[in-house]
This record gives sequence, structure tokens and C-alpha cells, in this order.
Amino acid sequence: MTARAGGPNAGATAVDEAACHPATLQVCRYVARSRTLRTVIGRFDLGIPGSDLKRHAVEAIRRKEFMAYTVSPPDHFDTDELCFVPHDGWCDILSIRTNGWHRHHGDHRRGLNEILSDLAAAVACARLRILSAEELAAERTRGDLLVAWEIDDAAELAQARGTIGAMLRDCGLGGSARATYLLCISEAASNMLLHGGGSGRLSLRRLDDRVRAVLADRGPGLNFVNWMEPPAEDGQASMGYGLKIILDNVDSVGLHTGDAGTTLLLDHMTT
Amino acid sequence: MLQTTTSPGPAPTVHLAGELDLDCADALRAAVFAAARGAQTVVVDFSDVQFIDSSGTGIFVRLCLDLRSQGVPVTAQNLPPQVRGVFDMLRVRELVGEEVFAGI
Repeated sequence: MTARAGGPNAGATAVDEAACHPATLQVCRYVARSRTLRTVIGRFDLGIPGSDLKRHAVEAIRRKEFMAYTVSPPDHFDTDELCFVPHDGWCDILSIRTNGWHRHHGDHRRGLNEILSDLAAAVACARLRILSAEELAAERTRGDLLVAWEIDDAAELAQARGTIGAMLRDCGLGGSARATYLLCISEAASNMLLHGGGSGRLSLRRLDDRVRAVLADRGPGLNFVNWMEPPAEDGQASMGYGLKIILDNVDSVGLHTGDAGTTLLLDHMTT
Repeated sequence: MLQTTTSPGPAPTVHLAGELDLDCADALRAAVFAAARGAQTVVVDFSDVQFIDSSGTGIFVRLCLDLRSQGVPVTAQNLPPQVRGVFDMLRVRELVGEEVFAGI
């Protein structure tokens, strides 16, 4: 993998292709014990030989260091940012593919490249766990269910916050910690309504050492393309900061996304 | 749920009460734009806002920028701690300019 070739004067055909190219996050996982690669999010189709991915994953695990590369086919503007995030015995490989011409709205909203960098950094710092379907199935039902809603209208958010706030108080969360956690839950719920198909399920669970908010939609998954829309005539609610607020302020976040929807697990440690 | 009341005049004040989230977008924008008609400036009073998130903040930022481009500056006053904290988190002062918070 080398630094990108090509530049802004490469020609109309490449520009047209780039303008249509979807922005995606894809994740695969290299498991050291079995020396295998398995897709966790998306299809992970980069055209890079599996042997190359394994070699870099092995190196990241050995060095215990986050590694990032820029990958670009010749004469194209599509740039993949490839991040290797080592753990003990496995390595998450994130492919962040963006449209080189539309990374930023050009206004006050957070740019696509910033949002995707937030994701990669959070994975590298272990604040964000990318969950496989099997891991999600195990995690989403852990603990005791305290309350659950099906939310399909923004008008329901305030009532949900009120009830959850009272339950968090009963769980021993006070003051600014409760307020910040409620804010993050509200952000995730708003994302379900704005980007996750317009509806989803919000539930609060109590585990031994934490409370967990589970937000699951049945939308198109994190495809980012709709984050590059121009502002609507009647105002733009989404600034693109919701995910950053969550990643900066929640103790531990789990994420699974795909064609069947996106699920976020927001954990606040109570011990 | 967001409630708005407006004190009329050349510098009308839009007093907000309730929660500023995704649900409030239309109400907030409608109230402030209505107050801005024929006004030299508009004041938005946050003293009874109990909650704001990035959606509510985004609406406020957008209307500040839109009205400024139409020659009607917006100022904010009486920010409660939760609103102040979210505005700091989202660096709203950098987005809309210090002059919006000049009275604070």
C-alpha cells in the first residue's frame, strides 16, 4: 500500500465516478490464533489481497500499535483509509472509503472525514467496540431490562428522557454524570430518527457494573452518504456532532451496523 | 416540547421554555423568524430551557447564521448550565461568533 496517486486534474470520468461513489465504513477482523479474516461490517471489498491485510494485522498486533494507511487506485479520487487496530489476539481492520470531492459540507456542519476519523480514533482508544452479529446478540440482552420504547416520532424523546432520567437516579447516577449520559442517549435516539430509518427501539438495562442503553434501528446502516446532503430549506437539525458527543462522553460504546440496521450500546459504569 | 413567547419591539425577545431537541425544530425557527420580521435584532432568552442537545443547537446555529445574512443579528441570553455546557461542547461560540453571546 502506498501514498495516493492521481490528483484533482485527473479528468472528468474519474470525477463523475467519485461523485457517485458511496461513502462507507467496513470492518473485518483478523484472528491471530486461526490466522483468518472475517467480515464484521459491510462486505470489505477493497481489492487488496488478504495476505497483505493479514501481514499488516500481524505487524500491528506484534507492535501493539495503531496503524493507518491511505490507499488509492491509480487515476482515481476514491481514497480508502485503512486502519489496523490491534487487540490481544486479534486486529480490527477498518476501511473508511470517502468521496474525495465531498468530504465536507463547507458550512458549520462536521465534515465526513472528521466523523470517520472520530470513529477510527475511538476504536483505536478502545472507547468504541465494533461488534460482530454474534457479539451483538450476546451483549444486547445482558443484564436486567428496566424499560423499553419503540420510538418513531421526535415528540416521544422528551418523555423517554424523563423516564430514563428517573431510572438513572434510582441506579445511583447523579448530577452532571446523569445529565451527560442522558444527553448521549438523546443524541443516539435522534440519530435513529434522522439517519436510521425514522424509528427504532430504545431500552435501558442494568448489569452488575454498569447501566446500558441499547438503541437499535432497522435503517440502512451507517452509509454516511446522507451526511453529505445540502442543508434543507427549513433548517438543518443535524450538525454531525451526535456521534462525537457519544464517543467523547460515554464510558464504553458498542456498535454493530449493516443492511438490517444499526445498534448502539452505550454503557455507563456504576462501579 | 418547546414553548415560545415573544416580547415585541425593535429588539424583540423570544423567550424559550422546555426542551430543545429534534422535536422543536419547526417551533423554534418559526418563532425567531417571526420575531425578526421588521426587527433590527432579535434576542433569544434561554432561562427556562431545561434540556438542549446537538439537534436543538444545530437549529439555533442555523437560524443565527441565516438571520445574520439577512441583516438581523441574533443574541442569546440567560443560558442555564446545561445549555452552556452543550454550547461549549459543540463550540457554538466559534460557529456563530462571540457577538451572539456579548450580553453574557
